[in-house]
Amino acid sequence: MNHHEDDRLKFSNDALEPEDILAQAIGGLRDEPPAHDLWPGVAARIQASPRRTIAVTWSQLAVAASLLIAVSAGLTWLVARQPVATPASSEAVVQAQDEPMGSAAGQVQPANFADKQFDAAVTDLEKILLDDRDRLDPATVMVIERNLRTIDDAIAQAREALDKDPANPYLNSHLADSRRRKLELLRRATTLASTSGD
Amino acid sequence: MPVNDVVLATEGDTAAFERVYQAHMPRVFNLARRMAGPDAAEELTQDVFVRAWQKLALFRGESSFSTWLHRLAVNVIIERFRKLGAARDRFLPDGEAVLDVAPAARTKSYDLSMDLQAAIEKLPEGARTIFVLHDVEGYKHEEIGTLLGISAGTSKSQLHRARQTLRTLLTKSRALR
Repeated sequence: MNHHEDDRLKFSNDALEPEDILAQAIGGLRDEPPAHDLWPGVAARIQASPRRTIAVTWSQLAVAASLLIAVSAGLTWLVARQPVATPASSEAVVQAQDEPMGSAAGQVQPANFADKQFDAAVTDLEKILLDDRDRLDPATVMVIERNLRTIDDAIAQAREALDKDPANPYLNSHLADSRRRKLELLRRATTLASTSGD
Repeated sequence: MPVNDVVLATEGDTAAFERVYQAHMPRVFNLARRMAGPDAAEELTQDVFVRAWQKLALFRGESSFSTWLHRLAVNVIIERFRKLGAARDRFLPDGEAVLDVAPAARTKSYDLSMDLQAAIEKLPEGARTIFVLHDVEGYKHEEIGTLLGISAGTSKSQLHRARQTLRTLLTKSRALR
């Protein structure tokens, strides 16, 4: 029997037998304390070195999420104040992810939250909003812009955190949610702008 | 240790982090002692807790904090081995049943486990790491393979040779009593 065959036989029984001298020795292993108090050294080093953390703490993200909810609610209120728009009058309606894709020139990209599509949809909506902003009440413009900044901050924070922890499901979900909210805010704002003053 | 201490430490509370340290230090120190030997264990333990402090914000609570810290400690220790260089033999050579090394130094009262600790230190670091992670800490070969960048088969064969070496050393030590 060569070594490889011998190894295979051993692998098939990976556990040590209780009567094995090695198993007995492992069973008797005891923990020992260090000879010195190690905490002062740890304390000195954590004081001296900057903390390498994700730039956004969980509590900051929680606040950002709360703000996004408030933004969404605020925009709902703003839209609800406006007269009902006729869909035909709006060039600014953006197709959502699951809406059928139109082919007419001038229509914006469908947003599926992948970077390119998202950025294209946002760019289109921001252009529309810029063109139509004079039709909105200045106070409304101020609220919209403030809320957009809040969402942009949340997106930037989530991206920064994801750079350091790309697989984090919470951060990914938070980023997707923030982007969805930005798109939703822009959609509502452009709809509002396109129907105001008609 | 209250669960809140981890949360408080994540937010920068060093007093809470000291309590986290006190609760988990013995396990980390003894892991380092077994994997890297007593001379390096103290510094490695400090390295682990400094790294833990820096990375606490990445602890997502998906596993227990103890499991997270243990994995972090293993990574810090393996990283140290890598930094020390590849010049040293990391694994037991293929084709040789056991390392031809002297048995552990005789202790005053016969203690099989003390002999084992001394014998573990005679293994090359790669074989030692595999033995400690598998037989003492309960890791699977697939996990060890991922941590060390080797195949599960290599982990198995190294474990087999490490065990044979340790059995030989323990038997010789026992015979000398």
